[in-house]
Amino acid sequence: MDSLKLLFEPYIFIPLVFPGLIAAFALLLIIIWLERKIAAKVQLRYGPLYVLKPLGGIIQTVADLLRYLFQEPILPKEVDKVAFLMTPVLLFGLSYLPLVAIPVSPTYYAFRSDVSLLIVLALTTLAPIFTVVMGWASNNKFSLIGGVREGYLVTSYEIPIFLSALSMAILYNSLDLVEIAEAQRGLWGVFLNPIAAINMLLLMYMSTSRFPFEIPEAESEIVAGPYTEYSGIIYGLVMGASYVKLYVLSLVYSILFLGGWNPLPSTDPLVAGAVLFSKAFLLVALGAFLRAVYPRFRIDQAISIGWKIAFPLSLISIIISLLLVMGGVSFVGK
Amino acid sequence: MSSPEEKELELLIGPQHPASGHMRLVARVDGDVVVELRPNIGYVHRSVEKLAEVKKYLQIIPLVERPSLADTTANNLAYVMALEKLLGIEAPERAKYLRTLLAEINRIHSHLYGLGIHGVMIGSSTAYMWCFGDREPFLELAQELTGARLTYSYIVPGGVRRDLPAGFGERAEKVLRYMENRMKDYFDLYFNNPVVRARLEGVGTLSREDAIRLGVTGPNLRASGVAYDVRRADPYAAYPELEFDVITEEAGDSFARVMVRVREIVESMGIIRQVLRKIPEGPILHENYEKLIPPKTREVMKRKGIIKFPSVFANLRVPAGEAISRVEGGRGEVVFHIVSDGKPSPYRMRMVTPSFRNVILFEHLTKGARVADIPAIYGSLDYFPPEADR
Repeated sequence: MDSLKLLFEPYIFIPLVFPGLIAAFALLLIIIWLERKIAAKVQLRYGPLYVLKPLGGIIQTVADLLRYLFQEPILPKEVDKVAFLMTPVLLFGLSYLPLVAIPVSPTYYAFRSDVSLLIVLALTTLAPIFTVVMGWASNNKFSLIGGVREGYLVTSYEIPIFLSALSMAILYNSLDLVEIAEAQRGLWGVFLNPIAAINMLLLMYMSTSRFPFEIPEAESEIVAGPYTEYSGIIYGLVMGASYVKLYVLSLVYSILFLGGWNPLPSTDPLVAGAVLFSKAFLLVALGAFLRAVYPRFRIDQAISIGWKIAFPLSLISIIISLLLVMGGVSFVGK
Repeated sequence: MSSPEEKELELLIGPQHPASGHMRLVARVDGDVVVELRPNIGYVHRSVEKLAEVKKYLQIIPLVERPSLADTTANNLAYVMALEKLLGIEAPERAKYLRTLLAEINRIHSHLYGLGIHGVMIGSSTAYMWCFGDREPFLELAQELTGARLTYSYIVPGGVRRDLPAGFGERAEKVLRYMENRMKDYFDLYFNNPVVRARLEGVGTLSREDAIRLGVTGPNLRASGVAYDVRRADPYAAYPELEFDVITEEAGDSFARVMVRVREIVESMGIIRQVLRKIPEGPILHENYEKLIPPKTREVMKRKGIIKFPSVFANLRVPAGEAISRVEGGRGEVVFHIVSDGKPSPYRMRMVTPSFRNVILFEHLTKGARVADIPAIYGSLDYFPPEADR
């Protein structure tokens, strides 16, 4: 009985169950299924619509998973073996890490810090380093180009994404995600600073290689970019990592702009968690839907979007926040 | 300071590459900019020209179709037209209309094939699935007409193999109406998509002068503003009696090349409608050959509309001489040159395929382009490697 109670202690429950490992795994499966399903609807595909039709083609996901699990993981001869094998594991593990700092309800969190927003953003920024290492370790020109592309993109999306998030922190006068969500009891952040909201949504999809920004692993140009040499379950890990990162950023986005666990006036972690999860889920699903609509940008076009559009927009969003704060609009401590 | 050689990276794209087709591209890149890209063809050589020298004339019909699987009718028609010139015969009117009908159905699904491949090359899997899905009704029309799905071998010396099936007109009309409605979706989702525009406009621009100088043919030439179409320049089959426009675009970039093909699909649908309206009654095989068929078989043949060939076809002897024919295929001009010495096999057969003439563009257009532009340009050329490696 004690051990069961221990499980529901937030510092175990949050990293492990929600929004942690298990929720992310479930979301991964649902989103992959949904992505195939949406794409199948738009693209007149048969497979995902008709495999086990009564269950909505859910078995397609199982088939995908089995394929990754049982595919032979090939280790090419000339690769840097340690880096080649360790980076996917580290990447996957690291992409989960930010989840500990994300609160589920005003009273339920693994740990609370004054700077939890910064912690989450800083930890998500670490992931691209491993992608670049992957590209280098594979000892393949296509991988190398993919890694370099990732490097280029990181520089063009990380700064605006930080600035957009910080513009909201200015508005709420806090870097604590609990306080930020609580400050939106009335008006949500997306209505206060729509420019920051649009900007961050764009950059969120850019940083997780959703279409039209699926540039590091552009299949028709550089095979699969940094992941060219990866196969089997180690490829499954790197693919999953980008979804997990999208999930993390969606949670942050929901807390920053969509009111977190509001509008339901409840401190019950279950209800609050469900609200938060469904908001994040919708954002992830939108990212999955984009695949059916857009082709991919060229690297120079994506970088110029990062610097010429997103960066000025993030500065403007900071100015908007400053004007609001100076105008006496206060959202602190309700 | 590093020397230019050290700065450049040699990138071998293909033949095992998602977007290279059966071809190797040797690219030298400086950062993200392509310094030089040399197409290295020959990975799917089928030796059609050499094989033709040991095959009989009728056996060559399916042979010449193999190199260009998406556009088989053009090769079929061009070969048979050269053969008919040597034989000194001409197909009856109805057969000419049927040839035109199949050629236009083929042009549509060949263009859809090219557009689909281009879609997936710039990352739009939706365009790929749509185009390949919408090829299906046209393939089925062709299948109904000819009995085969891709390599029709429909056109034979002196005529065609089958007559128009009953009720073909209504079913064709249904397909054409479906495609016209679909076109709107294509424009909404793909051609007017800002990302597609950004990827294609101004990329791989081919000037009018260069297009003429390099001997480019087909939609790629017309996208640079040259109104050259064999169907108009040297009319064959039923084209002199049909009304259609030669589609041209002025820009000459990748987007213009795509647009020419899209507008040609619409134009071809108009041609199909005209053919079905105007098609005359009459025989579908030249009278010289028809009278060789036994009368009883001829009765059955007339009733069913399917020809059982007279046995003389198997050992068709062609008078000595030379003949050249050309037709406008989906990808451009197809030329056949047959030299005959009076034996059952040609002395020499030469085919000039549009893809072989268009592959030269690669080197020209990719100079100074980005790495990501390589597939965008490649797809816009509608290049089909086996057709070049005939």
